[in-house]
Amino acid sequence: MTISIESVGFAYTTSGRTSPMILSDVDLTIPEGEFLVLLGPSGCGKSTLLRLIAGFDNPTNGQLSIDGRTVEKPGKDRGMVFQDLDSALFEWLTVSENVEFGLKIDGVPKEDRIRRRDEALSMVNLLNHGQKFPDELSGGMKQRVQIARMLAMRPGIMLMDEPFASLDAQTRQRLQNQMISIWTEIGGTAVYVTHDIREAINLGQRIILMSAGPAAGIKRSYDVELEYPRNQSDPRYITLLEQISKDIEEEVSKVWQ
Amino acid sequence: MAVIDQPNQTKPHALIGLLSRSNFISIVSIALGLLVWEVCARLFIDPFFLPPVSVIFLGAVELFQQDLLLTHIGVSLMRILGGWLLGSLVAIPLGLLVGSFLTAKRVIDPYIHFLRFIPAIALVTLFIVWFGVGELSKILLVMYATAFIVMVNTATGVGTVHQNKRLAARTFGASTWQIFWRVTVPSAMPSIYVGMRLALASSFLVIVAVEMLAAESGLGYLIWTSKLYFKIDWMFVGIFLLGFLGLLTDYAWKMFGKHVIGRFVRTAANY
Ligand SMILES: Nc1ncnc2c1ncn2[C@@H]1O[C@H](COP(=O)(O)OP(=O)(O)OP(=O)(O)O)[C@@H](O)[C@H]1O
Ligand SMILES: [Mg+2]
Repeated sequence: MTISIESVGFAYTTSGRTSPMILSDVDLTIPEGEFLVLLGPSGCGKSTLLRLIAGFDNPTNGQLSIDGRTVEKPGKDRGMVFQDLDSALFEWLTVSENVEFGLKIDGVPKEDRIRRRDEALSMVNLLNHGQKFPDELSGGMKQRVQIARMLAMRPGIMLMDEPFASLDAQTRQRLQNQMISIWTEIGGTAVYVTHDIREAINLGQRIILMSAGPAAGIKRSYDVELEYPRNQSDPRYITLLEQISKDIEEEVSKVWQ
Repeated sequence: MAVIDQPNQTKPHALIGLLSRSNFISIVSIALGLLVWEVCARLFIDPFFLPPVSVIFLGAVELFQQDLLLTHIGVSLMRILGGWLLGSLVAIPLGLLVGSFLTAKRVIDPYIHFLRFIPAIALVTLFIVWFGVGELSKILLVMYATAFIVMVNTATGVGTVHQNKRLAARTFGASTWQIFWRVTVPSAMPSIYVGMRLALASSFLVIVAVEMLAAESGLGYLIWTSKLYFKIDWMFVGIFLLGFLGLLTDYAWKMFGKHVIGRFVRTAANY
C-alpha cells in the first residue's frame, strides 16, 4: 500500500483551542513495501505525523491518502506501536490475550487465532511469557508485546514509534536485526520513528530527517543503499552517519540557541 | 501470575498462614490491647462508662441466649449488603453512561452533584414518610448512600481510560460498542471496585443512623435501646459488632477482588 502525503500541515485542537502549526508543508510518498525511517529532534512532530497516517488525527491542510483513498480514521490496514510503554496495552489481559485481542475482534476462528498468536509471539521471542500480565514485564518486553499484537493482524502498513527506545544497545541491535527479518518475511510498508541515527541507518531503506519544530517539515531524505544486515564499519555507513549527525546537529542547535 | 497467587496453592495452607506468619504480630497486638483494657477497666474506670472486656463478652453471651444477637446481626447485614448491592447495580450502569456520553453527563450531572451532598441521614424521616417504616425505606436509604459514591467513581474511571487504548482497539477494527465493552468497562473496573469498597463503609454509617431513629431490630437499634435500659455492656456489644462486621465484609470484598476478579483489579485490591 502506498502512502501519499501532499503538502500536509497540522495543528492540534484541544477543547476548542488550536495550537501553533506543528507540521507544515510535508510532502512524502512512501511506496508499497518500503521500510522508511523518520528521524528528527525531540518534539519536532514525528509522533504527530505517524498519528496522521494512522488516522487518529486528520491533517489541517493538505491531503493524506493511502492507495488513493483519503485517510479519515484508523483501520485494520494500519497497525501501530505506540511510543508510550504502558498506556496502549490492555493491563487486564495476559500477553497472549493482548495479542489475540485484535484477532478476536476480527472474528478469526480459534485454531487460526492461536496459531497466529504464537507465530507473532515467537517472532518477538515472547512465546515463553504468554501467561504474564503487562505489569509483570520489562519496558522492552512491553514494546515487543505491542509489536507482536500488530504483527498478528498482518497489516499492510506498520507504524512504529520508537519501539526500542528503552533497551540496552545489545538487545536493541538484536531486535533491529529481528525486525528486518520479520519485515523481509512478511513484507508490507513500514514507517519507523526514532531519534537514534544508528538505528535509522540499521533499519531504513530510506531515512527522512525532519526539521525542528514548530511548523516542522522534511529537511532531507537519504537513500541507504547498503545490504542488510548493515555493517557498521562499512565506509559508506560511516560517511552516512557523519552526514546525518551534521544535519541533525544543525536542527537541534536551532531549538537550543 | 506468580505461583503463590493461585488460590488452589494457598488454600491448604491458608489457616496455618493466617496464624503463623504476618498476622502473628497483629494477633499479639490485639490480645495485648484487650488485656490492657480489661485491667484498666477493672482498676481505674467506673464500669458504667467502660465495662471490662469480659463483661462485654458475657453481655454478648446473654444476647445470644435470648436469640437476639444473631437476629440483630442478620437484619443489619441484610440491609447493608442488600442496599449496597442494589445501589451499585443502579450506579454502575449510570456511571458508565455519564462517563461515556457527554449528553448523558450534561443531563444527569447536575442532579448527581446536588444530591450527593445531601447526606442519607438527612433523608431518613422523609424516606419513612414516603416508603413506610418497613424494610423498603431502609434498603432505599442504603442504596442512596451507596449509589452516588459508586457512580462518581465509575464515571471517573471511565474518564481516565487512556486514549491510546481506544486508539489501539480501533486499529484492530473495533466498533464503538466493542470498544465500550472490551476496553472502557475493563479499564474502569479498578475505580468501580474501589468505589464499592468506600460505599460499603458508608452503608454501615447510614444503616446505624436509620436503625437508631426508626427500627425494631438491627445493631443500631441495639445500641440505641441499650442506652435506654442502662445495659451499657449490650451497647458495647453492638459497637464491637459493627467494627467486626465491617472488617469482615471489607476483607471478603478484598478477597473477591484478589481471587475472583483479580485480573481487573490487579493492584487496587492490594490495600
Ligand atoms: N495532544 C497534543 N496537543 C497539543 N500539542 C501536542 C499534542 N501532542 C503533541 N503536541 C505538540 O506537538 C509537537 C510535536 O510532538 P510529537 O510528539 O509529535 O514530537 P516527537 O517528534 O514525536 O518527539 P519525541 O521524539 O520526543 O517523541 C510538540 O511541540 C508537542 O508539544
Ligand atoms: Mg514521539
